[in-house]
Amino acid sequence: MGGTLRDAAAVAGVGYTPFSKDSGVSTTTLACEAILAALDDAGLGPEDIDGIATHRVGDSSPPWAVAPALGIEDQGWYLDQFGGGSVSHAVLGQAAMAVAAGVAETVVCYRAINARSEFRMGGQGRPPAGAFDLQYQAPYGLIAPVQHYALLARAHMLAYGTSHEHLGAVAVGQREKAAGNPRALKRDPITMRDYLASRWIAEPFRLLDCCLETDGACALVLTSAERARDLRRPPVNITAAAWGGGHSSYSGAGPGGIGADPTTSAAARLAPRLYAMAGLGPADVDVAELYDCFTWTVLVQLEDYGFCAKGEGGPYAASGALRIGGELPVNTHGGFLSEGYVHGINHVAEAVQQLRGEAGGRQVPGAEVALSTAQPGYVLAGTSALLLTAPR
Amino acid sequence: MTEPAPLRPGTDRDSAAWWELVRRHRLAVQRCTGCALLRFPAREYCPACRSRSWEWRDCAGTGRVAGWTVTHRAFHPAFAGQVPYTVLCVALDDGPGLRCWGRLVGAGPDALAADLPVEAVFTDAEPSLTLVDWRPAAPPH
Repeated sequence: MGGTLRDAAAVAGVGYTPFSKDSGVSTTTLACEAILAALDDAGLGPEDIDGIATHRVGDSSPPWAVAPALGIEDQGWYLDQFGGGSVSHAVLGQAAMAVAAGVAETVVCYRAINARSEFRMGGQGRPPAGAFDLQYQAPYGLIAPVQHYALLARAHMLAYGTSHEHLGAVAVGQREKAAGNPRALKRDPITMRDYLASRWIAEPFRLLDCCLETDGACALVLTSAERARDLRRPPVNITAAAWGGGHSSYSGAGPGGIGADPTTSAAARLAPRLYAMAGLGPADVDVAELYDCFTWTVLVQLEDYGFCAKGEGGPYAASGALRIGGELPVNTHGGFLSEGYVHGINHVAEAVQQLRGEAGGRQVPGAEVALSTAQPGYVLAGTSALLLTAPR
Repeated sequence: MTEPAPLRPGTDRDSAAWWELVRRHRLAVQRCTGCALLRFPAREYCPACRSRSWEWRDCAGTGRVAGWTVTHRAFHPAFAGQVPYTVLCVALDDGPGLRCWGRLVGAGPDALAADLPVEAVFTDAEPSLTLVDWRPAAPPH
């Protein structure tokens, strides 16, 4: 399985804009800045790009606007994926496929959002997009992602005894790691007392359960693993990529009980495929960057990617296992909760830096295998994930 | 000062008839006439046998609490006057895997517990819009 995609493509460069609450510039400008930084990291220029990919939900500059803004007349292979965090890693996986298939040699993947100053995911008066499941929820005031995840977190608490302190352990622990990340928007330590005192947004979630609405962009340059070896930086292989697992937002009664258990995410279906493509298992993962739009998504993914038993995500997080030096360091950059929210791609960028051994005060010693994951598939059906491996 | 208009559901061609039933104070799910599977939300194909033949089946109007959230800030102006408010996820008693969402009425969130029995309440928000809310079920006689 995975004969041609496994280890075919590598990340050759990573680039960021600064993260802020108000960038003062357009998403086109953010995208260009991150892309140029990633190309510089790789030792390449815009003239080398023959593929460009992003995802968006009507909130960002598309490839056909970004490429010409950088003077790229023919962007070559392109992907303008509709979707939010659940497709963040699918964009990288599909770019790797384009490279593996020989359709493109050098693809830049980016995500650029003014998620605080322009387009807030929580709605703020925007009419809910689309109908489908949302039409049965929005009239009751169930609109924002934080509310959907709060319902699921509550279901998990009821089923498994997951506690507020378990959620808090994720928030406190990630802030601790962000102290070692100069890019992080929030670096001041927080205590469990601070967590428990933070105001309610949508119970059981407090303010400190929620990611930081962020203005910023991040970009990654992908090329063939073979070519990447000759470029400026040590290449990080995309060893496996997987998609899917989805069901509509925890409703419906399909064959096999699709969506029947709201406490299990789409990642539970995707994970076996991902590991099989890599020939690796959860025990091989040295560092995991798990999509953390809210604290609880970390807990459910710890379970669904096989790092602990179902229902044990809370106790596992509270045990200290997720620290640098712990059994499974998770969200070493502080995650969306403390570094900033670039909708998934900054998790991949962090994984790349960990595997290059350049993460400084937050480095996991000897990290060779990293898991990076997308939103685990509740809001827009499926999910996606990557397994990355260090330069050999 | 006038209340902001309710947020109307964006119905589609699969769901319009379901909302019309609710307007007439009927809570229903689809029953596949091919394999008898009950399904919700409304859609044309049975996900088990792929039949397009189905009928409405009136629900018992009862269910169990599967989850809830108490919202403390308004994410849309229509709800500014309602915070904090509680939205439930309800597992319908009619069959496995059938879940519905609605506001909690007639009690506060302190009354909630896993699997608490609840019953549907029809709330006429506007002449052309009825919503399905939920209240703790009366104890059996």
